[in-house]
This record gives sequence, C-alpha cells and structure tokens, in this order.
Amino acid sequence: MVELRDVHMQFEEKKVLDGFSLKVEPQERLVIMGQSGSGKSTVLRLILGILRPASGSIFFKQFEITRLQRRKLQRVRQHMGMVYQYSALLSSHNVRDNVALPLEELTDKSRTEIDKIVDEKLDLVGMKDTKDLLPEELSGGMRKRIALARALVLEPELLLLDEPSAGLDPVIASVIDELIINLSEKSKVTSITVTHEMDSAFRIGTRMAMLYQGKIIEEAETEKFKQSKNPVVAQFLSGSTEGPILEGSLDAITKK
Amino acid sequence: MANTNPPVVVAQEIGQIGRNFLREVGSVFWFIANMFEEALERVQHGRVPFHAASFFRHTERAGVDSVPLVGLVSFFLGLTMALLTGYQLQRFGTERLIPGLVAIAFTRELGPLITGIMLAARIGAAFTAELGTMQVSEEVEAIEAMGIGPLRFLVAPRMLALFLLMPCLSTVSNLAAIFASSLVCKAYFSIAFPYFLDLVKDSLLIRDIITGILKSFLFGLLISAIACYRGLTVKGGAAGVGTSTTSSVVTAITVVIGFDTLYNIVYIVFFPT
Repeated sequence: MVELRDVHMQFEEKKVLDGFSLKVEPQERLVIMGQSGSGKSTVLRLILGILRPASGSIFFKQFEITRLQRRKLQRVRQHMGMVYQYSALLSSHNVRDNVALPLEELTDKSRTEIDKIVDEKLDLVGMKDTKDLLPEELSGGMRKRIALARALVLEPELLLLDEPSAGLDPVIASVIDELIINLSEKSKVTSITVTHEMDSAFRIGTRMAMLYQGKIIEEAETEKFKQSKNPVVAQFLSGSTEGPILEGSLDAITKK
Repeated sequence: MANTNPPVVVAQEIGQIGRNFLREVGSVFWFIANMFEEALERVQHGRVPFHAASFFRHTERAGVDSVPLVGLVSFFLGLTMALLTGYQLQRFGTERLIPGLVAIAFTRELGPLITGIMLAARIGAAFTAELGTMQVSEEVEAIEAMGIGPLRFLVAPRMLALFLLMPCLSTVSNLAAIFASSLVCKAYFSIAFPYFLDLVKDSLLIRDIITGILKSFLFGLLISAIACYRGLTVKGGAAGVGTSTTSSVVTAITVVIGFDTLYNIVYIVFFPT
C-alpha cells in the first residue's frame, strides 16, 4: 500500500530523515513511534506529497508520490485521509461544512446526498448533534472526532493520524483510539499513526516501528515490539533516563 | 573571508536587497500564475473554481463594509482640496475652475489612490491575518491534504472580490469628494449646484474616467495578491502573523503608490493627448 525507500530529508542544516525505509501492507494499522522532533510528522507529510524529500522514493499503491505532477497528486490525495495533531478544522466553517468540504469541492454529489453522508460520518464518530457548532465551541476530543469524520468522508484507503490522542485526558484518548480501531476494521482502511503516547500506540497498532536518528531502527508486530532487545526501543518504552537516547544530552542537563 | 571594505560592504548590501526584491516579485508573480492555473483547471472540468457564497462574503466585507470609510475620508479630502485651491484661485478670479480641478484630480488620480491605500490597510491586513492564522494552525495544509487546491479555494475569491470592488469604491470616493467640493463651492464661492455640475461635465473627459477605472482594477489585483501571498507564506506562529500583516500593508501601500507613478509616466509618455 505505502512504501518509502531510502528517503533523505533535511530542513536547512537539520537532517530529519537519513535513509528512511518503510513498507506498509494493506489493512495494517502501523504505529510509528519516536521522540518529539524525530521526524514522525514529516513522514506523514512526505506520504501526502506536501513535502518533497531530498532523495529517495515514496510509493502509494502504484503511484510514485515524489514524481507526480500537482494535478495528479491532488487526485491521489483524495484516496488518503489525514487527521492533524490539532485537528486543523476550518475555524470559519461549522462542523457540517467542515465535514462536507471534500464532498462539496471534489465530488458532483447533490446537497441532499452530501448531507446524508455527513450525517452518517458524524454518527459514526458520535457527533451528530454538533452539526451547527463552530470548532471554537468544541472540546479537544470533539474536534479530533470531527477531524476523523472529515478524513473518512471520501472513504479513503489510507488514513494518516498525527498524534491522535495527544493533549486529551486518558478516557477521551481511549475513546479516540477505540474509534480509530473500529473505523479501520469496519471500513478496511490502512492506517499509519505517529505518536509517542505509549498506551495509545499499543492499543491502536497491529505493527510498530521505531524512528530514531532519521531511520527505522526496529519494526515488529505489537507484542514482539514490546519485547524488543534494541537498547533504544527498550529505553523509549520504559521511559528510563539511562540509555543511548539521552547519551551526552543527559550530562548536559545534569551539569546545568 | 568576508570583505570589510566599506564601499564593497555597501555594494553587497544593495545587491542582497536587490536579490531579495527580485525573488519576492518573482514569487508573487508565480503565486498569481498558479492561482489562475488552479482556477482554470476547475473551469476546464466544468466546475466553478470557488463557491459563489465565498465570493459574496468577501465582496461584502471588502466592498460594502468599506463604503463608509472610503466615502467619509474622500468627503473630507474633497472638502479640504476645494477650500485650499479655492482661496488661491479666488485671488485670480478663477474659482470656477474648482469643480473641474477636484473632479479631474479625483477621477484620474486621488480616488483610486486613496481607495487603494485605505483598502491595503483595511482589507489587505485582514486577508493576510486571516490566511496567516489558517497557515499556522495547519488549516491551509489540511485543505491541500484533502486534494483541494488552496490557491483557487482561498485566494481566488478574495482576489476577484477586491479586483471587481476597487473600481466601485473608487467611484464612491470620486462622488464623495465631488459632492464635498460642491458644498464648499456653494457656501464660499457662490457656485450653485446646476452650474457646478455643468463645470464638472465640461472639464471631465472620458479618458480621465477610464484611466481611474483601469488603475483601480490594477490596484485591486496588486493589493489582494500581496495580502494573500504574505498570508500564505507566514512562518513562526502568532508573531509571524503580526510581522506578515505589517509587511503586507507596507508593501501594498508602497506598491500602489509606485505603480500609480509608473502608470502616470507610461500614460503621459505614450498617450499624451
């Protein structure tokens, strides 16, 4: 479904991805874990074609994203749904218009058909009664659910989720996670989630990958991943301050 | 090692400023070209580039809501201009020239210019701040990620609204200033309204009106393009939005005045009569 081959990416002087390779199979729920600022969100933006890598190839189905012209890329993006960390709902549009936006802009469906689909998707995320509200009137968890409904409205084959439970209380975070699992099982959607929230990651993922220093250093099925002997993965999962992740920087912190 | 010779440093600085200026001009040009490309693509597929509701929302904000400001400022300017020139002309017994002077000055020059400056400050700032906030809150990226062209969706309705509304607002400005000068003429120089209108009609040429209207279209395009470009290239969160908004207003006002001068030079050199 998705493949990234030897991708290199840097922002000015900072190298973010350094020979990043990853393969995602259909209907898989892959979770990419990594430290803050390690380039997890960059991977999602590269798959969407919003960022272009310095080198390497990115494939979505038979399309090489890195070589697509803008027009073709826009068509390919319609097969993907993205949920942003801070939801990225259009603040000047109400919930109904936010969810209906891709349908109104990209399909020839009538208003009645669009309203029916919007109702269906909002019902799916349990937010049918919020249709007339503006994003500013919603809580963080509600916004995430609306963003999820918007991402699903075009029935995408690939769902990209950027920190879906970040900033939410544990109960709402679990609700969002369950929602993601149910939706991907029901709609047979492949999903890639990036997060550093351990509980959420293990709940959602059927396979896990660890991004460290611009590369995937470990990838395995969830249970296997938990038992990983890789010192970086072990330290990340345990949250310990002892280990290779903070080597050097811990000395600097303690000296201060 | 960097050269520390003062003339060389100054030349390098000037070169750097020139390079940045040309890069910005090129970027705005491509920005407009890409917007047209995205919009035309939609038209080719038999779809409208943006919703009529979005266009009318912007025309209302940029146009209808700007009428009181443009009208009032132009009224005061017309009043002042008629008074100041009137007293000078009265010394030579030529105060009947006031109606023509105000009418020509406003239809040809001041109307579009004053309207351009006011809209750059009022609407240009609003466009930049709005799009800039959308940019930093990832709304623009979300639109792009859905497969929707952000330029035709966000920029095209704003540009078209300002492009079409500028001549209308310039006309409001002209009428307000001419009306103000007619009050001055009546009150201080004993020029009755019917005579005032005859003098305006005698002195105004179609060419003056067309010049003003063409300028207004150009200013509308420039202000909206600069404002939207600055908004969509915001970097650095809330502070970035503030910086870009200031920059947008300053750039738009400078460009409007610069283009006005250029337009006048070209017009006078190539169409002298």
